[in-house]
Amino acid sequence: MSSNLSDPAFWSRLQFGFTITYHYLFPQLTMGLAWFLVYWKWRALRTGDERYNKAVRFWAKIFGLNFSVGVVTGIPLEFQFGTNWAGFSKYASGVVGQTLAMEGMFAFFLESAFVGALIWGEKRLGPRLHFLAAIAVAVGSWLSGYFILVTNAFMQHPVGYKIEAGGSLGIASLNSYLLNPWALIEFAHNQMAALVTGSFVVAAVGAFYSLRGLHRTQAQLYLRAGTRIALLASLLVAFPTGDQQAKMVGKHQPVTLAAMEGKFQGGSKAGVALVGQPNVDARRLDNPIEVPGALSFLAYGHFGSYVHGLEDFPQNTWPDNVELLYYSFHLMITLGTLFIVLMAFANFQNWRGRLESCSCLLWVLMLAFPFPYIGNTLGWMTAELGRQPWLIYDIFHTHDGYSKVVSGGNVVFTIIGFVGLYFVLGLLFLYLVGREISHGPEQAITMEKEESELVFAGR
Amino acid sequence: MVGTWYVIVSFMLIAYITLDGRNFGAGTLHYIVARTPEERQQVIAALGPLWSWHEVWLVGFGGTLLLAFPRLMASAFAGYYLALFLILWSLVLRGVSIEVRSHIDDRLWQSFWDFVFIASNLLLAMLFGVAAGNLIRGVPLDGNESFSFAFFTDFRVRGNVGLLDWYTVSIAVFTVVMLAAHGATYLMLKTEGAVHDRSAAWAKFLWAAVLPLFLAISAESWVVRPDLFAHAFHHPICWLGLLLLLASIVMLMSGLSRNKEGRAFIASNLLLGSILGTGAATIFPVMLYSTLHSENSLTAYSVAASRGTLLIASTWWPIGLALTIIYAVFISRGYAGRVSAKGDTQGSY
Repeated sequence: MSSNLSDPAFWSRLQFGFTITYHYLFPQLTMGLAWFLVYWKWRALRTGDERYNKAVRFWAKIFGLNFSVGVVTGIPLEFQFGTNWAGFSKYASGVVGQTLAMEGMFAFFLESAFVGALIWGEKRLGPRLHFLAAIAVAVGSWLSGYFILVTNAFMQHPVGYKIEAGGSLGIASLNSYLLNPWALIEFAHNQMAALVTGSFVVAAVGAFYSLRGLHRTQAQLYLRAGTRIALLASLLVAFPTGDQQAKMVGKHQPVTLAAMEGKFQGGSKAGVALVGQPNVDARRLDNPIEVPGALSFLAYGHFGSYVHGLEDFPQNTWPDNVELLYYSFHLMITLGTLFIVLMAFANFQNWRGRLESCSCLLWVLMLAFPFPYIGNTLGWMTAELGRQPWLIYDIFHTHDGYSKVVSGGNVVFTIIGFVGLYFVLGLLFLYLVGREISHGPEQAITMEKEESELVFAGR
Repeated sequence: MVGTWYVIVSFMLIAYITLDGRNFGAGTLHYIVARTPEERQQVIAALGPLWSWHEVWLVGFGGTLLLAFPRLMASAFAGYYLALFLILWSLVLRGVSIEVRSHIDDRLWQSFWDFVFIASNLLLAMLFGVAAGNLIRGVPLDGNESFSFAFFTDFRVRGNVGLLDWYTVSIAVFTVVMLAAHGATYLMLKTEGAVHDRSAAWAKFLWAAVLPLFLAISAESWVVRPDLFAHAFHHPICWLGLLLLLASIVMLMSGLSRNKEGRAFIASNLLLGSILGTGAATIFPVMLYSTLHSENSLTAYSVAASRGTLLIASTWWPIGLALTIIYAVFISRGYAGRVSAKGDTQGSY
């Protein structure tokens, strides 16, 4: 990232980075939660057990709040392609325009048409149609993720394109663009990570109710389903999806892999640094503790494989913020490992029948829910910082992509606006979700009580 | 191919304006047609469950515009930078106001969000009106397909113009009145009781005001862009649009006078659609007119994506539209019926 703070490209990057990071806090939960709703609705249909319906009603409300904030914070992203990234739009929309338009037509319309039915339509639609609405919302949200990831995968690893007569990009093969191998792996990795967020949140609410001694049957349901899916998803995030993603980076963006690992000098039997601080000026990792040979093995399958170091590449092709990229990647890996350990232990306790009685574990589960959000964000920072200095890897420079007619001052102004607006939005969201959680899944009863209190108070 | 995609992009925008326009209009009239907290709840419930479905049409439009006319999007969005962000922020506030208002049953809380709801919807109606005025009047495009301008310069309509001048402001006023009429027609159809009666009265009054205002802005447009009228005169499609406009006026009058509210609302949509559609047909092929030199203007042909891109998109777009129509039918059945002030039949809004 350029250190020149009056550079409009810097501000446009910061604005997009901020707005998309904030936005993605919401869809990652809806994409994870959507399949819990489908599963519980299905169980309710099969067994007729009312506790599954209660769970769906409760989580559908939280889903709805997330969905709304996701919609309103998503629209500014699409518009920034025109406002802040006019150069990129002119150059690449022949390719990326296809998937961005497809996302609207195939995913958003589906999801937004049925989300109302999912949240408010239980009585009106009957159980079967309500179940279908849950499926439609889940499919819509995952499709939306797919189209966005195809777009991103093209920027990471461009395939299926051609240069048109005017010098801009066009599609050479729609199939190879839509089935970009990078997109398939990125999608698998990202969706599993969304499932980690969803299942951690479900487990955290279960742990909260358990510790409070409230809503016993619901708490048990959330804890068990949450920890089970969390273990499965945490394992899948690491292996095979995360492993394959890193191999993909090693194959197509070797300079990025070197920066992610803080590896300045290349070599065989390259190690993975467990600890260490990259020192770009001295071109070394300070205070390193390494597992020798591990990087060679993980990236290329043999302990003796040669792994490139940053010095093997001209410095103007290095990711422009090696330090931040290194920490993003390493903290993501650390968190991912801790998720597996925590959830393996929780499942072990569940197997022993002690999940709800172990209050120490419940405390950890309750407080752990922010970390998947951090992990997801770090993963995206790794992907996007690692792509620099390119907007489209190896063919289009970030500095060619921003809108030349928009002054840095205008962008700073809109960033300030977004920060203020999104701060208020975040407070509101946390307050309202907190309220829903404190009302709890037995809300029908709570609401009646509240109303009678209001009558009593003379309203 | 370019013409077809001009129609598709125009269709997406018109669909968005007619769908979300009812929210802008109902928001503008919120304090007027709904006086008690229960009545205000009723208005929100009449819009509530569908606002995100309406808003995603804007995303659909944006994606389609980027796909089919990337260089227009690049030029116009960067040029309208601050105005567009005002629209985006208003959209955020509008969605939030509907969504969070009913979560807490407290008068202060709801009064505050009612105010945000009104302010953001009114601002959106005005800003979209200003945008429409700018499309007709033109912007100071230079020879490199780009422009950037201030909110206002000298309020004149030629040369080095700003976002606001006497023409674009009057189009904004017209838009606010017309969308308010549209919103009143929708509330009349969707509510019962006092809100219904007030909405019905306001619908008649506002639609009666739209007609002279429409003649006034047509005369203004003739002053600002006389070439458009000469252009429209020679293109039968514009005459067809005018015919549809007249037909929908007749239908609207019959719907309003005989209290056929469904008919009136359909006519209200058709009227909006035919005004916008005729406008789109009249300016074609110019998509962004230059107030500096007419040869700097961006035409659909000069800013369109390549033929190959449009051909590929033509294979999947109709499938997307067909699916969307199925969802729309599902929605219109699912949310049919009126909302009363007491029992909330549409859900928790």
